[in-house]
Amino acid sequence: MIRARTFMDARQQSHSNAELNWWIFMRISGLILIFLILGHIYMTFIQVSEADATFDAVVSKLSNPAWKFYDWLILALSLMHGANGARYSIEDYVRSRPNRAWVKGLFYTVIAVVFAFGTIGLFSI
Amino acid sequence: MYRGREGQWAFLLHRLSGLAILSYLLLHVFSIGSFIFGERFYMAIHHTYDLWPFRIGLVFITAGVVYHAFNGLRIIVMDFTGAGVAYQRQMWYGVMVLSVLSALYAAYHLYPRLIGGF
Repeated sequence: MIRARTFMDARQQSHSNAELNWWIFMRISGLILIFLILGHIYMTFIQVSEADATFDAVVSKLSNPAWKFYDWLILALSLMHGANGARYSIEDYVRSRPNRAWVKGLFYTVIAVVFAFGTIGLFSI
Repeated sequence: MYRGREGQWAFLLHRLSGLAILSYLLLHVFSIGSFIFGERFYMAIHHTYDLWPFRIGLVFITAGVVYHAFNGLRIIVMDFTGAGVAYQRQMWYGVMVLSVLSALYAAYHLYPRLIGGF
């Protein structure tokens, strides 16, 4: 049971292991993303000729709910996987604490905006 | 010895390819998602992306994704089996061969586009 009055108390008393959970998440989402993304690259980049990748082709493909779900799954999983991976790099290479705070804040904001934009785009058709 | 050997390069390349793929993903979501602003806006972005540095970049992004995917598998195998650690160097060379092959395959397949654009 956590009886904390300040953030530091809460941190000292918390037993959750967020880093372990992220470590597990990176392995599991990575395994899923291998199939999702290699399939996506093959189907939309290698198999299809570039002249076919028009505005109308994108709109008609995304009108199918199955592709909508497939693409949204890629969007959500790869943004979380990528954001956490970049967080590792930021924590390793941005050495001063104030710099790390604003770099992370800016970075998470960009990720959130892109996720919202992609989701709105996918489900607006 | 880890420093300067295959393990260090595998780690560095995994980070670099991951960051490169993430930046590509952010641009990709923006450019594909821009269809909600209409066809003219969408095509304006895609004509910019048809400049030759971006076309060559597509070959590298394919190779980068293949590297990151198979090196990720190598990491998972290393994490969960002892044999994976014993053979991590050999697996890394396998990953490099796969990445180079997929870059060559993408370049061969996309050759008309690399030369001529859309």
